[in-house]
Amino acid sequence: MAKILEVREVQKSYQIGKIAVPALRGVSFDVKEGEFLAIFGPSGSGKSTLLHLMGGLDRPDTGEIIVDGDNLQKLSDDVLAELRLRKIGFVFQFFNLLPRLTALRNVELPLTIAGVPERQGLEKAASLLKLMGLEARMDHRPSELSGGEQQRVAMARALVNSPKIVLADEPTGNLDTKTGWEIVQLMQRLNKEKGQTFIIITHDPHIAETADRMIFLKDGLVEAVKEAPRRNA
Amino acid sequence: MKMSRIISIAWGNMKQRRLRTSLTTLGVVIGITAIIGLASLGEGFRLEIRNRMQQGFELDILIVIPGSFTTGLGEFEPQEVSRVRNVSGAASVAPLMTLPRTRLLNEEGEPLNALTVAGVNFQELAQMLPERLAPLEGSIPSAGENNTIVLGYKACFLNESTRLVNVGDNVTVQFGAAPYNVTKELKVAAILEKSGTSGITNFDYWAFIPANTTFSLMKREVYNIILVKVSDVEESEEVGRNVEAVFDNPYSVSVLVPLAFMRQVDRILNIVQIFLMSIASISLLVAGIGIMNIMTVSVMERTREIGILKAIGAKSRTVLTMFLAEAMLIGLIGGLIGMLTGYGISYGFAYGLSNLIQSQQSSEVAYRTQNPERLSINPVFSPEWTVIAFVFAIVVCVVFGLYPARKAAKLDPVNALRYE
Ligand SMILES: Nc1ncnc2c1ncn2[C@@H]1O[C@H](COP(=O)(O)OP(=O)(O)OP(=O)(O)O)[C@@H](O)[C@H]1O
Ligand SMILES: [Mg+2]
Repeated sequence: MAKILEVREVQKSYQIGKIAVPALRGVSFDVKEGEFLAIFGPSGSGKSTLLHLMGGLDRPDTGEIIVDGDNLQKLSDDVLAELRLRKIGFVFQFFNLLPRLTALRNVELPLTIAGVPERQGLEKAASLLKLMGLEARMDHRPSELSGGEQQRVAMARALVNSPKIVLADEPTGNLDTKTGWEIVQLMQRLNKEKGQTFIIITHDPHIAETADRMIFLKDGLVEAVKEAPRRNA
Repeated sequence: MKMSRIISIAWGNMKQRRLRTSLTTLGVVIGITAIIGLASLGEGFRLEIRNRMQQGFELDILIVIPGSFTTGLGEFEPQEVSRVRNVSGAASVAPLMTLPRTRLLNEEGEPLNALTVAGVNFQELAQMLPERLAPLEGSIPSAGENNTIVLGYKACFLNESTRLVNVGDNVTVQFGAAPYNVTKELKVAAILEKSGTSGITNFDYWAFIPANTTFSLMKREVYNIILVKVSDVEESEEVGRNVEAVFDNPYSVSVLVPLAFMRQVDRILNIVQIFLMSIASISLLVAGIGIMNIMTVSVMERTREIGILKAIGAKSRTVLTMFLAEAMLIGLIGGLIGMLTGYGISYGFAYGLSNLIQSQQSSEVAYRTQNPERLSINPVFSPEWTVIAFVFAIVVCVVFGLYPARKAAKLDPVNALRYE
């Protein structure tokens, strides 16, 4: 299968005052198209930093990240924004929905930014919310939804532009085990049905186990890569 | 992202913070109200003053007097008058001689209320100033009738009810130092209509006698005022210079050009107007700073939201436009409301002011026989000022919104997402 994402010798450190705190210290791996990848590791190991770099939200100090053939280093901020819009969907631990907008409008937002006409955008957004089992919640604001529902809205928003890659940073971190499992199962179903690549960060070893592959990150380095036995890519 | 969607999102954000938006907009409303109000009232005021001045003196008539304020006043010789008559650009010329130390007595020997007695060529002057020399009673004498007198309206009255002379009565002219060694009997040929408000050529207290009579009283032929009517008002300054050029010594003549005076007053009013407008503009700048302040707070509050937008794929420019659209909408709405209130207030104010002035004038009005000119300031709706103020409102808002909007656009998405 083709490589959808390549991470090459990526280093990233954060400047706190005069001290540089290393978050990633030379990370390399590939992600295949259609793969369901879990990134696992203790707190502070650099998982979120890595995810932001892969999504083009931030730039590495050194090393390269190639997404669907584009070397992110070589792209301008505007082109990166465009890439996030078209090829990447983000799901966050704290949902990050716009509190003012209804579920439907939240999901439509990426389409709005992409310049899709309103009617068409709303239709698409509604169909995704339906897919997430939220047809009854479309006109609710985030504050009127449960955590699981909010995360499903966030998933719908991440998927509405039909991205090739979905990046999720602890999507179950704020949910109870049962709801968390439902979200993960939803992701796996989408992964199988639509062939979209999923990269999820998790603290939960059970969730990590269900992935095609698991990358274990520690102190900013890849400590181990574990292929799932149930599927041979 | 489409502009219309950006604007509707900005509008949604503003509606969300209704009180804050209204207060910010209020600043703009006040600024624009002040600008529009002052512009339209000031323009109305200026027009009124110009009208009054045009009524006060005939703009097309130059007043030529002998001598100057520095050398003292003198007299014009007949040949100087005839040289003025030939000046190019002069349509007609009427020389006058105002008699010093002169009293007019009616048949009972009571002095008339005439402050100035002037020797003129009746027909010449009546032609030049037909409205000023319109007879209320009698008629303006023709050239041959030498022993006649024409009286200004107020010269005939001791007070409102006591009339001193009638047309056909004889009037005695006493001339020279007491005991008035020179006297002359003249018949009243006409009494003039009231001129109304005082201008420099208000003839209400004047008496006109034939020029020949003044010469015989004074025993020489001289003049001390020449009125020159110009054929084109716009050229009156040039004609004035032509008149001056007729005299060998420039200090021997002074030419009053009403148009130049008017222009000067107009210029002063213009400066006052600009001054007032700049003060009004300051209030708009204050509103702009208010916008900057509120938007900066708003950007901070919405940091996370901006981070989300950027993570989803909004470009910096889109975020910038979104915030600028808010600033622009505030300018647009504030400008529109301010325009309405500005004109509303200026019309209300003008109405109140006119009423006030009319009631103050009413006692005077009763004394007058014909239509008194009332002071009425009509605010002027100026399309230019409306457009300028409106554009100014939007520009100020956008300029002051630029700083917070740029701040928003430059936010680093990762940091913005971490922001609590
Ligand atoms: N914006 C930042 N400024 C300074 N240091 C940062 C910043 N972001 C991350 N770090 C530091 O970089 C390291 C890696 O952080 P990161 O958020 O990637 O960890 P993580 O694996 O996602 O942890 P967690 O599981 O707790 O979310 C940490 O030591 C963290 O303190
Ligand atoms: Mg993290």
